[in-house]
Amino acid sequence: MQGVLGAFHEIDSALHAIEELKKERFGDITVFTPTPRHEFEHAMSHAPSKVRIYTLIFGLAGVTFGYWIPVWISDYWPLVVGGKPVASWVPYTILGFEVMVLIGGLATVFAMFALSRVPRLTMTVGYDPRFSGGHFGVWVVTDPNRADSAMDILKKNGAEEVRRER
Amino acid sequence: MATTAAPSRTVERPNIPSAAVRFPAIKDYEQVDREIAGTLRPTLGWFAALGIAILCMLIGATTWTYQIHEGLGAAGYQPPVMWGVYIITFVFWVGIGHAGTLISAILYLFRAGFRTSIYRLSEAMTVFAVMTAGLFPILHLGRPWKFFFLIPYPNWRLIWPNPKSPLVWDVFAILTYLTISSTFLYIGLIPDIAILRDREKNPVRKAILATLSLGWRNSDREWRHFTRAYLFLAAFATPLVLSVHSVVSFDFAMALTPGWHATIFPPYFVAGAIFSGIGMVFTIAIPLRKAFKLEHYITLNDLDAASKLCLFTSMVVGLAYLTEFQVAWMSGNRFEQDYFWNRVFGQWAWAAWIMLICNMVLPLSLFSQKLRRNPTWLFILSLFINLGMWFERFVIVVPSLSHEFEPWQWGSYKPTWVDYGILLGSFGWFFMWFLLFIKQLPAMAMSEIKEVIPPRMKHPDPQLEHELDVGYPHPSETGEYGTA
Repeated sequence: MQGVLGAFHEIDSALHAIEELKKERFGDITVFTPTPRHEFEHAMSHAPSKVRIYTLIFGLAGVTFGYWIPVWISDYWPLVVGGKPVASWVPYTILGFEVMVLIGGLATVFAMFALSRVPRLTMTVGYDPRFSGGHFGVWVVTDPNRADSAMDILKKNGAEEVRRER
Repeated sequence: MATTAAPSRTVERPNIPSAAVRFPAIKDYEQVDREIAGTLRPTLGWFAALGIAILCMLIGATTWTYQIHEGLGAAGYQPPVMWGVYIITFVFWVGIGHAGTLISAILYLFRAGFRTSIYRLSEAMTVFAVMTAGLFPILHLGRPWKFFFLIPYPNWRLIWPNPKSPLVWDVFAILTYLTISSTFLYIGLIPDIAILRDREKNPVRKAILATLSLGWRNSDREWRHFTRAYLFLAAFATPLVLSVHSVVSFDFAMALTPGWHATIFPPYFVAGAIFSGIGMVFTIAIPLRKAFKLEHYITLNDLDAASKLCLFTSMVVGLAYLTEFQVAWMSGNRFEQDYFWNRVFGQWAWAAWIMLICNMVLPLSLFSQKLRRNPTWLFILSLFINLGMWFERFVIVVPSLSHEFEPWQWGSYKPTWVDYGILLGSFGWFFMWFLLFIKQLPAMAMSEIKEVIPPRMKHPDPQLEHELDVGYPHPSETGEYGTA
């Protein structure tokens, strides 16, 4: 993957650079920020995360499974006491709830990993260790013909360092 | 992770004037990394504390080995009191864990600002406390190596645990709680591990940190999914924390024993758990802020806010104590009335009054703002709260079993050195993990603290600048951080 990387020390400079890059129709832009910032969310205007869909689906699957376990156990090994129902849903709600949280929670985390594309085995292209410290980074995927134009935009908006990467 | 990213222009002003800016003494992101990563260097004091913790843990392990050899009789059980220190300490440690989830998840959903600097400590405390609590039901088993009989899985015995038993609910609740709490802790740690990875020079340590951080790069894509996932995990953890201690309370409330068979137990247990956990947060955070020189992160304002929460939960717990007496008095049930009389004026009065004084009376001192902002007093108070909450569980478990319906069911209970050894071992086990944690991974959430620090700007917002530099004096100039 070829592109241009800019490191900014000021957040407003990085935001202006992103706006201008988008205006110039550079489509594939990634922002690196030491901490989540709404300013970048607005500038990048991505769709909301789909993590919630996985949370819902697996949460529902979890609660179903959580009820099914005790119902199946009660059916397999019935304890008949005083004419009470062999499978009684009231106490089984505890198991249903716990399994919903367990499966829904773990699915949320795995969905986050999958959608964020982590674990990542290599970080050599388009990343700089400063981006976890105090700098903001803008990585633009572009072909060599437009790389100079992207570099100009990043420099003009106050990038501390701009470099090509491949 | 808090999502209050942009510094607010209409900053809330609590009763402390300098609280308008969250961390006034922290100027930039680099300072956060430098100061918090700086706490990871081992010190002589840390080695000494770790040595003591390991020694206590080994005493506990040796005592347990002795108990396995001799049988549960070594532990001071005698009819009719067949639940003792192990169940008391189990409930105590589960309770300690709850404040961590309250601070990290519930206060996150409420956007309480003071959680930012203490939530990592609290969350780690949760995980290690639940790890400790989980040992006690196993310790309490006559044949501890058969603990897995409680887990429902297809097995050659063709026997399944009874899903109507509170002990099986415990297994589900505690295992889910441990899994979700550990996951929550780890997920929050990933961006911070990435910071440590990028700062690390030692190749071996860097490789370990790179693996643990999963190649995290702080990209907008990662943060977008991360913040959502974190929110949903917090939303799951919130009812979970309420359910877990409710389930623990069902261990008692489902029995027809006087003093136990009460519908007030679930909220009573949850409030007590949160109260005891906040006590332990003070016990841990106050010495650490001093040792790590991080008074400008865990500020007096944070301690003040946490103290108010402590006071509130103390009052809820106090109300629950009084309600129990009222219910017994108004029930017309002779056994309940006798039991509660025996609790406070009879056989177990000494334990009940330790509980009432430590949990109801001493925390009332937190009505004083001066004491809420005095770390030394908060630390001393937290020790009393820890003691009081252990005795609360003692008062729940032992007096009920020692004074049931018929005189032939009345007896006493005296823990042996085996009980004390294992109790000491549990503290050693907990603090061993905690001390190892704080020197390997950041005790404060670096990336989350950065969220509430104004980012560097080329053209700063004049309104914000005014609030930062003009409106309020720097706390180091006013002595706002205190000296304790």
